[in-house]
Amino acid sequence: MTDAGLIEVTGLTKRFGPVTAVDDLSFTVQPGHVTGFLGPNGAGKTTTMRIILGLAAPTSGRALVGGRRYDALIRPLREVGALLDATALHGGRTAWMHLVSVARSNGIGRPRVTEVLRLTGLEAVANRRVNGFSLGMKQRLGIAAALLGDPPVLMFDEPVNGLDPEGIRWIRGFFSALAAQGRTVLVSSHLMSEMALTADHLIIIGRGRLLADLPTAALIESSGRGDVLLRSPRAAELAGLITARGAAVTRQDDGALAVTGLDAAAIGDLAAARGIALHALVPRQASLEDAYLDLTGESVDYRGEGTAPQ
Amino acid sequence: MTSVTATDTPTARSAGTAPPSLATRAVDLVASEWTKFRSVRSSFWSLLVAVVTPIAVSTFVAFIFASQPASAGPRPDPLLPEVVSLEYAVIAVSVMGVLAFSAEYSTGLIRTTFTAAPRRRAVLAAKAVVLGTVTLAAGELVAFTSFFLSQAVLAGHHQGVSLSRPGVPGAVLAAGILLCVCTMLGLALGSIIRHTAGGIAATIGVILLPAILGLLPAPWNGRIGRFALLEAAQQVTALHPAANLFSPGLSLLVLLAWPAAALAVAAILIIRRDI
Repeated sequence: MTDAGLIEVTGLTKRFGPVTAVDDLSFTVQPGHVTGFLGPNGAGKTTTMRIILGLAAPTSGRALVGGRRYDALIRPLREVGALLDATALHGGRTAWMHLVSVARSNGIGRPRVTEVLRLTGLEAVANRRVNGFSLGMKQRLGIAAALLGDPPVLMFDEPVNGLDPEGIRWIRGFFSALAAQGRTVLVSSHLMSEMALTADHLIIIGRGRLLADLPTAALIESSGRGDVLLRSPRAAELAGLITARGAAVTRQDDGALAVTGLDAAAIGDLAAARGIALHALVPRQASLEDAYLDLTGESVDYRGEGTAPQ
Repeated sequence: MTSVTATDTPTARSAGTAPPSLATRAVDLVASEWTKFRSVRSSFWSLLVAVVTPIAVSTFVAFIFASQPASAGPRPDPLLPEVVSLEYAVIAVSVMGVLAFSAEYSTGLIRTTFTAAPRRRAVLAAKAVVLGTVTLAAGELVAFTSFFLSQAVLAGHHQGVSLSRPGVPGAVLAAGILLCVCTMLGLALGSIIRHTAGGIAATIGVILLPAILGLLPAPWNGRIGRFALLEAAQQVTALHPAANLFSPGLSLLVLLAWPAAALAVAAILIIRRDI
């Protein structure tokens, strides 16, 4: 089956009364990658995921998983694992009983419940009631539930929200490992910086419309290469040497130079060869945030005024 | 600290296994709902209240009946104590029925449930099987225990009836289904309304309707009251049915029609609405 592991969204539209949450959205998510599903809050990410999972009906268009509608899946947890909201738990139930009840509905046995608890590092708290769990522990429990059926497709809605730095690092490695096993991993976020580190492919939406569907590396490329910031008491002389090498120099307001087309090592060597002192030499990454904001800037629903209230 | 290397590859697993039969899937769903039911404390407490309260109350009511002098007027129906007391238990199990869905909607757990089982009507059916079985067993336990205790009290005053008397076993059995009927009504209204407070208010409202209808002047109290749930319950379980209501047979149909109609509406709405 060639569709195995694919998530295919075609012409998907969802209206809530006068509000169009998802607007003629089409994309395909491939196996073997961590795909970031990016957009500002309210862009329609969660609605799209709910439609893929059969929880909400589209106004038009369709969403297929492995070539089939979600509600046609016989043992859905063995096809798709999903975490939409980590806090969606009955607080009085233990982690173990929660997972057993979910697993049982798809004919999944207790050995697998034990295994996913181990994979997510929750063995020690398995018999505790979940209302005592931190948000990070609930995220892990949600991921454990998503892994129960050992599915080829995994979907996570804002999984890093509320995680501490250690948890975020753990979850990144976890997603990469799942993708490396050939699984389809779709991770939504409103944070470009997070997705730049987690995802190797990006689907970016705003106001329910597709804005970009491209490899993360391509977005970095399109956002322009990085530059090097330097300060020197003989800045003008150095600028001449650098432009002679074919690089571009821009003088900053504070007298520093921004150089593109020559890396920090080459600039340092050049200055040393002429005995020019350098007071600062700072390579700067291209700002992915800027590239992202350029894409989504028009589509933000809630925007601050930019000035403090009077 | 942890790795995913221990999981097998997805392609190795999904191929070659025959799809499970409908019966297997039904058993799995019921087992899942049973696990949910028994793993929260509220189930235990609701059942305890539903079982202990009516047994105690029916015995108490029997004592009061028995202590009335013979000159006080016509004797109340000898089976009335247990029916009256079961009406207390109805509140506890109705709430339990409402919570089966409303608790999942309020926490968001319903999304996990319907993601694991996209055939939502099957989930409704599985919850009905679990709650229905438990409350039917509890109801019959209460009905027969209350019967024997209250009749033992009444017998001491020569007012009791024996289980061997015609009509009595049927009336006691019918009393036992009241808890199940009200739980199913709560389950359906919890699924339709999706909010705990609203679901409970609606369920109690439907159950307590006869208290309002009873205030209507005759013959309207009977003409409308015969369709009320608790009036029908009393008619089914009475040894001497009231003349202005439906016959016990028809009243049994009324009793069952309430949860059946509510479940039918729930089954229609459950697949039409977004979660």
